[in-house]
Amino acid sequence: MRIGPIGFRIGSDWRSPIAQLETLYRDYPKPTDSIPDFTVRLFARRPWRRLIRPSVEIGGDYMLPEAAPLPLRQGLLAAEMAMNLQMALGARRYLLLHASAVERDGRALLMTGISGAGKSTLATLLAAKGWRFMGDEFALLDPATGLVHAFPRLISLKNEAIATAEAAWPDARMGPLMPATPKGDIRHMVPDAGAIAAMDVPARPVLLVFPRYGFEAETRPVSPAEAFVRMTQASTNYVALGEAGFHALTGLIAEVPSVAIDYPDGASAIEQVEALWAAL
Amino acid sequence: MIPEHREDGVPTRRRVLALGAVTAGAVVSIRPALAQTAGSVLNCEIPVPDPGRAGSYIDANGRVVPARTKGAFPSSPRPFKGEEVKRSMATGRSLPGTDSERSRAYVNYIRRLQRGQGGFTCFASLQMPRA
Amino acid sequence: MHDAVYRAPPIDGLLIAPLDEFTAVYHRASGITHLLTEPAPQILAVLGEGGLSLDALLDRLAEDYELSDGTREALAARLDELVEAGLVEAA
Repeated sequence: MRIGPIGFRIGSDWRSPIAQLETLYRDYPKPTDSIPDFTVRLFARRPWRRLIRPSVEIGGDYMLPEAAPLPLRQGLLAAEMAMNLQMALGARRYLLLHASAVERDGRALLMTGISGAGKSTLATLLAAKGWRFMGDEFALLDPATGLVHAFPRLISLKNEAIATAEAAWPDARMGPLMPATPKGDIRHMVPDAGAIAAMDVPARPVLLVFPRYGFEAETRPVSPAEAFVRMTQASTNYVALGEAGFHALTGLIAEVPSVAIDYPDGASAIEQVEALWAAL
Repeated sequence: MIPEHREDGVPTRRRVLALGAVTAGAVVSIRPALAQTAGSVLNCEIPVPDPGRAGSYIDANGRVVPARTKGAFPSSPRPFKGEEVKRSMATGRSLPGTDSERSRAYVNYIRRLQRGQGGFTCFASLQMPRA
Repeated sequence: MHDAVYRAPPIDGLLIAPLDEFTAVYHRASGITHLLTEPAPQILAVLGEGGLSLDALLDRLAEDYELSDGTREALAARLDELVEAGLVEAA
């Protein structure tokens, strides 16, 4: 299937993860040409492991031999990890930023931080308030134009975020609940129709936010150098892209203010974000 | 040195440059670990030692030594998950299925991993904050 | 050791992006990005390909700038850092 500008072809030794992907991604377009950008494979290490205690290994064009397998009931998570891995190791056309993104009036808000900081949840909550959802985990920065391209894959919600997102999007299509994965309880949510329809429309980034969940509300500027360093750590292919990566990231930091937001709950975060946006 | 003068003859001060203290630093190199984001999306494993040397032993310092070397420990029968290694390093408790001496030997082996050895990218991803 | 000549990469060997009091520098030969703070960028600009000894560099910097805390030892320490980062060659 195609997510934003990236086409994936997924092969699997089992039908069920493919069936789940087909259902959840049914409203997404097919790749524009027949050559996918990345091939993803879900496979059994030994032939009998397809049937007995089936465990899913992930692979594709790029392999990381140390990846531990997942049980088949978490096959959807395995597929997501496999797609992430191919993107993370193989993307060359765009600088991959580990950030969620939402858009309003052609301008994008990027949110980046460690796991649990809230970037996925905040993107989901802002989308429920009328922002266009561009992605929950990866934003694609075009080194040539400085524009951000959407990668609106299934939103990966963990633990408490599942309930928060379900409350904000009661009519959303959801994947199966996968309890006790290596990353906690996980449930996927299909982005809204507007997000899927607009996934080819890039936006100009105008604000970079570093959220931190579970603290008293506070907003502070982040210095350009600190933001730059944090973004090199938040980009999987910064080093691989060489000069283009340097230009893209220094360009982003030069053009876009960076702000740290500490927030106690979603409502507060939204208020803080809206205030920052209005002040731009 | 001749101070610079503006056209009206008033001397201007040159820009100040601080060389810094001998012990200060002015250069930081950015070294993002390859796998730090890939690692956060993976449930990764570290074999002790890498599969190519599965029959060898690990000494107390974490070096790979020939099998049955005195005072050294056999390879781990199973690889360790990134989470297990991280927890052991953080809390000091032994790796699962090991006593404290063997755990220490294994952890020393893991700390010494170099790029190209099995488990290195997994270990490297443990070092970086998970994005 | 102190009559060593220190050389910086040629003009197009570095991409330079000032951020704030830090300057981001991309070293094309190595593909490594460094973050530099004063006086490192100024040292690189002055050294150039021709190269200078420690004393000659100190003199040049003193010409162009007012060295507020300018000891020879401090400059030597800065050069060592740059050499270790691969940005300066000592011959």
